[in-house]
Amino acid sequence: MNAIAMTRYRQALAQAGGPPRLMTERRAALERFIARGLPTTREEDWKYTSLDALERVEWHAPEHAPAATVAEDYPGAVLKFSNGRLADSTPQALHAYSLAAHADSALVRQHLGKLANDAALTQINNALWQDGLLLHVPAQLKLPPLFVAHHASEADAMLHVRTLIVLEAGAEAVLVEHYRGTSDLPYWHNGVTEIVLGAGARLTHLKLTEESAAATHTSQTVVRQARDSHYFSLSVNVGGRLLRHDTWVNLNEPGAECQLDGLFIADMRRHIDQHLHVEHAAPHTTSRQTWRGIAAGRGRGIFDARVVVQPGAQQADAQQSSRNLLLSPHAEIDVKPQLEIYADDVKCSHGATVGQLDEAEIFYLRSRGIDADTARALLLRGFVEEALRLLKNTGLADWLEPHLIAALPLPGKEHTP
Amino acid sequence: MLHIENLHVAIGDKPILSGINLDVKAGEVHAIMGPNGSGKSTLAQVLAGREGYTVTAGSVHYLDLDLLALQPEQRARAGVFLAFQYPLEIPGVANVQLLRTALNSARLARGEAELDAMDFLDTVKGKLALLGMDESFLYRAVNEGFSGGEKKRNEILQMAVLEPRLAILDETDSGLDIDALKIVAHGVNALKNPERAVILVTHYQRLLNYIVPDQVHVLAGGRIVRSGDASLALELEDRGYGWLIPDIQEETRP
Repeated sequence: MNAIAMTRYRQALAQAGGPPRLMTERRAALERFIARGLPTTREEDWKYTSLDALERVEWHAPEHAPAATVAEDYPGAVLKFSNGRLADSTPQALHAYSLAAHADSALVRQHLGKLANDAALTQINNALWQDGLLLHVPAQLKLPPLFVAHHASEADAMLHVRTLIVLEAGAEAVLVEHYRGTSDLPYWHNGVTEIVLGAGARLTHLKLTEESAAATHTSQTVVRQARDSHYFSLSVNVGGRLLRHDTWVNLNEPGAECQLDGLFIADMRRHIDQHLHVEHAAPHTTSRQTWRGIAAGRGRGIFDARVVVQPGAQQADAQQSSRNLLLSPHAEIDVKPQLEIYADDVKCSHGATVGQLDEAEIFYLRSRGIDADTARALLLRGFVEEALRLLKNTGLADWLEPHLIAALPLPGKEHTP
Repeated sequence: MLHIENLHVAIGDKPILSGINLDVKAGEVHAIMGPNGSGKSTLAQVLAGREGYTVTAGSVHYLDLDLLALQPEQRARAGVFLAFQYPLEIPGVANVQLLRTALNSARLARGEAELDAMDFLDTVKGKLALLGMDESFLYRAVNEGFSGGEKKRNEILQMAVLEPRLAILDETDSGLDIDALKIVAHGVNALKNPERAVILVTHYQRLLNYIVPDQVHVLAGGRIVRSGDASLALELEDRGYGWLIPDIQEETRP
């Protein structure tokens, strides 16, 4: 790492706050990050995604006070973060707090940093995180939908968002994270989310990444699941210039189940790289992945999903499905489904396809009087539908729908590459 | 209503239709019969505007329109409907979505107001009853997981909702048991009126017991080799196609 970049990161550290214990950890993490540097395409996990562009920006910690965010009618309780800091919350937002304000609490000390890996992007988040959601749902409580809106409005700001979610035994929650920024503004969201699910807890987690067309969004989500807990996640990645999501789920006890669904739309010059890892570490664990991807323009999508069934994790049940559409000759999609099975009594399957819209289907719709553009839109909407089944039980479908329609790469909407 | 003159159609270099002449007047039902591979389905597809066929000669006029110059959706909005031999499955798109989008496209093209969800549902419920279909059909993905008979009925439902001037049924009878056949025929007969015409493309005479044609045409080798009234279909049922086309072997379609 060059000296200028190092200076910038150290300056950002000077603006980070927190109790002395945290400051010590921040300094150590920053030195580890500086020693290692950002990941490069020489690393297997990063071979499709170059972060070189990040090196060329003069990043700084956000300086401005939280600004008003874009109006959005969220159907539930809301926590609004602006440029990485808590700006506003509705009175209904119960059990949801600013992580920075509770950095020294027993709960945070017990869990923060215990799940996330030690990769470079984690280290820089460890060092520089400003704020984020702390969600702590007490045992047996069922929380109504909570929306956490992150909005960026400062050019060249690096926004290291830190999130900690703890659901005690039998608790239930529906969490929606929504990432956005001022149109065409360059900024960098780098999130680390740690999720601890107690026995029988159920979390539905929708993440809508709708960043500005010049933004970079990198994130890591790590989930630890106790007995009979359920983690349902839906990742909708439709914005930003460069996106990289890593999700790691540990099914640590029998009966734990996760469903990791997702949809990405890589149009224009968008680059979206999604890595999923499910670790079946106990018998009778279940994982499902249903992903749909669309690449258009000069977009590029990567779906890299690995399921590991550890020795002794008998009766594990794992299914992966990844279907993708390439809508332009300049677009690219790379799909890497991987199953690693070290137990002998398991049920595992995976399927991956990359194809195009079916001309026969388009003709069928046109023969009913539907114009070609509308026919394509219907087919695209139908194509993504299967990855959105999670929404059916959450009541969030009506809220998500317009965001989805706006993101579909339709003729006439496509920018010239 | 429909005037086909000397129509020649090829796929690539291979001629499929070699000089079709056909006149269909409003209020009439025409049956087009013929052995497999005779070009029956090609004729239906060309009328609907399917890409991949080259019209090498001839013309098709529908009402006062040059049909071949129109896009498939323009033909549909002008009142041409093709019931597909193999209806496509469209996962993720609900039947109701297809029907409403299609009907409103046609209404807009005619300068009428779009139907809102309530009015549309009222309209479509009557049509469902006509075909003995349950309302749950509306909310299933188009043809996905439908049985062969359900798919064919769904085609007739679309036809009933869109109320075309010219309905072309491409082997709608194939794969139907006798009860389903009667339901489909009932749907078609309900649509018939002096303003509308129907072209039935079929291999067998069976359907014509329920939808009685004014004229029957036998297509073979890309031409109409014989035309007659409904009795021609009965004769074909008795004697097969061989006697009309001694030099053309019945061939199975690939």
